[in-house]
Amino acid sequence: MDWREFRVAFPLLVSCRLLLALTPFVNSLGLDHNHQLSSPTNSYVRLQEGLFLFKHDIDPYAGGSFYHSPLYLSLFTTVLPTSRFVSRIVWTMLDVLGAWALVNIWRERQSVVRTSRDTLVAAAYLLNPYILLPNLALSTVSFENTLQLLVLLYACRRRPSPALLLAAILIHLSLYSALLLPSIALLLLSSPHSHLANPKFFTAYRHPNASLSTLLSYIGECVLYSVVLCLCCTVVAGGWGWVEKTWGVVLTLPDLTPNPGLWWYFFTEMFDHFRPFFLMVFSVHLLIYVAPVCLKFQHDPLFASFALLGVLGMFKPYLTLADPGLFLSMYSVFPEIFPYLSHPLPTTLLHLHASLLLPLFHSLWLNQGTGNANFFYASTLVLGMANGAALVDAIWAGLRIAIGGKESEDEGEIAVVQE
Amino acid sequence: MVHWSTLPATLLLYILGTVAATRPETFKEELTLRPLRDGKVISRFSFSTLLEGGVPRNPEKIDAGNIPQHYTLFPLALGQVLQEYATTELHLSLNAGKWDYDRWGYPDEQEVGTGAQLWAWIGDGGSSSVDERWKGLRNALAGLFCASIGSLDEQRTTIPKLAFAPEGDLPAWTLPHQLRHATLPSETVCTENLTPFLKLLPCKGISGIATLLNPHRLFGADWHGMSVHVTWHAERGVEVRLAFQAVFDPVRLSFDKKRDWSLQSIFGRPIGKACPVASASRIVVELPTNEAYSIDPQPSTVQDGKAIYDTSNIESELNLALRWPLESEFVYPLDPASQPPSPLSVQRTMAGTSQSRGRLSVSIRNSLPSEIQAVYLETMPWHVQFYLHTLKISNGGSARDDLLSDIAYTPPVPHGRPALFESVLTLPPNSTTQLEMEVMKSFLRYTEHPPDAQRGWDLPPAVLVPLADVLRAPVNGSEPAGRRARIYTRVLLVDLATPDFSMPYNVIIMSCTLIALTFGMVFNLMTRRFVVVRLKTGPVAENAAEEKDKSI
Repeated sequence: MDWREFRVAFPLLVSCRLLLALTPFVNSLGLDHNHQLSSPTNSYVRLQEGLFLFKHDIDPYAGGSFYHSPLYLSLFTTVLPTSRFVSRIVWTMLDVLGAWALVNIWRERQSVVRTSRDTLVAAAYLLNPYILLPNLALSTVSFENTLQLLVLLYACRRRPSPALLLAAILIHLSLYSALLLPSIALLLLSSPHSHLANPKFFTAYRHPNASLSTLLSYIGECVLYSVVLCLCCTVVAGGWGWVEKTWGVVLTLPDLTPNPGLWWYFFTEMFDHFRPFFLMVFSVHLLIYVAPVCLKFQHDPLFASFALLGVLGMFKPYLTLADPGLFLSMYSVFPEIFPYLSHPLPTTLLHLHASLLLPLFHSLWLNQGTGNANFFYASTLVLGMANGAALVDAIWAGLRIAIGGKESEDEGEIAVVQE
Repeated sequence: MVHWSTLPATLLLYILGTVAATRPETFKEELTLRPLRDGKVISRFSFSTLLEGGVPRNPEKIDAGNIPQHYTLFPLALGQVLQEYATTELHLSLNAGKWDYDRWGYPDEQEVGTGAQLWAWIGDGGSSSVDERWKGLRNALAGLFCASIGSLDEQRTTIPKLAFAPEGDLPAWTLPHQLRHATLPSETVCTENLTPFLKLLPCKGISGIATLLNPHRLFGADWHGMSVHVTWHAERGVEVRLAFQAVFDPVRLSFDKKRDWSLQSIFGRPIGKACPVASASRIVVELPTNEAYSIDPQPSTVQDGKAIYDTSNIESELNLALRWPLESEFVYPLDPASQPPSPLSVQRTMAGTSQSRGRLSVSIRNSLPSEIQAVYLETMPWHVQFYLHTLKISNGGSARDDLLSDIAYTPPVPHGRPALFESVLTLPPNSTTQLEMEVMKSFLRYTEHPPDAQRGWDLPPAVLVPLADVLRAPVNGSEPAGRRARIYTRVLLVDLATPDFSMPYNVIIMSCTLIALTFGMVFNLMTRRFVVVRLKTGPVAENAAEEKDKSI
């Protein structure tokens, strides 16, 4: 039996992850407090604090440090126990579920039951340090990533109800995931197969049953789920206070705890009278990408989702490493673009550079006291550049593939440029 | 214009009104001097003015216009503030230094928390809300006392339930009274606060025992603090009590290392003349026990180990002196006192070197043979946020979560409201109880940092209020009954992460550049057409014809 075969390799990978998660050594690292791995909106420590307040009849949303969705409160006070040991198993299983979803997305895209790349795709998710470390830090971003992959999987399988339900939950957990809704709707209305090399109008790849009324029914369904979830959240939280403290927080950024994203230092250093303006600019800036990406990649909505995840992984307000991590892991689903990447090596080196600088400068600033905030800010800029390079290169390759020419004898004789 | 014929009648009415509005007022002053075992001397000035029959203003009548105020002894400036903001009870203290309960015992003026502290009971009702009047009150007092009390804003104001009960009576109005409490531990107290304080006294600093309030000496003391208390007692009236407390070190001031002191050596001047309007004026000196001493001049009376001097009539300069004639040099007592000066001892520390989190630990020693119940109050600005789920209580090394009960917690709001943690602690006898909790240090906007940002932030003292009166001796003449004693812990200095203050433009430029670059490159790819250029054959001009559009 070949160990690279998915049936063998996947359980191996899972057991490796479980072993790693349950090693006592991991607890001693103090990853929970690491600002790169969990942001205020998904930190495990703050979740514990919120649960503690909730259990003691103090409204966690009355105060300022709990920004998790009430869905987590209901989940952890009823179904899941809060002990650290169990949490580690649950979190690892979340990643396993995410990896499984990613493998199945890959299979859906190839429309085959089993391929030789399955193991590679699973490993790209389970062993990605950007995914692995936030998971060990018990950041609830693992819930978001797994849900995101499940939404994409169900959309690929053209199962609108589960996809839309999970999308509604995901939006409750992280508001900016709503930006992916158009591409998910397109995915539901067409197919997940790769049409990058053969770009046509959306209608060419449209599913036979897809029509405007189907789209409207999807929208209606998603709105219905969201409304029901809103009501559930309100019942759980005992009021509407959660809206301001979960969705409001990602729009107004009251907590300026450092993270690898671009927002925190910008709004730490922002002049008070410009703050609302730039908050608006930063939020609207994210909206700008949705329509062009969905239009340009209307022939391949899965790729459009991938590109939008790249945008989110760079520009999210409370970024953790798991957000770019999801984007990078999803690269494994699109091997057809690899030959057309224009600068994979600089991107890799930028990521390497950033992942070394981030923890180093963070520690120099906050723990050693020998560096200042600019050090960490500089390393977040490097990570921003790395994410930007990965995103731009993916989009370039996704468009460049349509012209082809890498396999033909023209190789080296033609150049593709933009007019 | 008043008509000439009505003028005498108007004048008469005015005079009558003035006389009717004037209520009997009495002014009493007292100075207590208490030598301590470690050679220090606690001095405490207390000036109380009673407006007999005075009542606090009902906030519902606040729109009815100003009531004319005519006082002879009562401080008008303070009276106007109390009227304007319809404040029933007010306590302001401005202290500098750390009160050492373990060596100095429980203070006569109990509000010894470092920095400024203001708390007031304000009647609800009327056209302006309690918070509006609280804001006005702070700002008025800030102007009156030249202190930064105005910055005791919403980010500092809390409403504790148990620890700050009214010390006087509250009028039985239809609407209830509300408490507002705020502390500013970084406030520094100095001469500019003493001058307005002296102005509120009927004899200023010219005569009576207020002569001794010499700023050069007071602000060189080991500990000094002033306080203003306004209370209302239903059967007596409105009382304003101004107090000044200082701990002097005569050993440090003397040339021959003796602990002998006199009014001249401590305050730099004797009392020259009495304050003529004071209905009672006296100096109380607590006499040493089991030691040979001499006190000069002879006291008017000696009672319960206290020498009492009546200073309402002074014929010649009074320079009171206490000497230890057998002692050639003061030797600091190294052996512990037979019984600790304070039965409760509280230590509060912040551990951890990281600028993003820390560990708050409080250890409370109960040296009494009986169990004590005490209210524990933490008011914490949002800069430091508690992780309550990490709260651990232990006694003598073993975890005792049952010792903490009735937890009331108001979580903080970033940039808005401080946290309030109030609970009842049970302190087992003859043991040390430990509270430990993880805290998170917030990250502030660059405009929220003080000018000396690297110095860190002062955190307000925690307050411990024993529910049974165990701290003070039962006999204490001037203290009103029913007041609960409070212990203030020391303030903490917390190191918060600072951004680079010179960077705003640079950050805006660099972050925006990165965003614009990414945005530009993505939209370049989205909008511009792809063109194939053949490289090896012929000049470029020919290839233009071969271009292949791939526009989607």
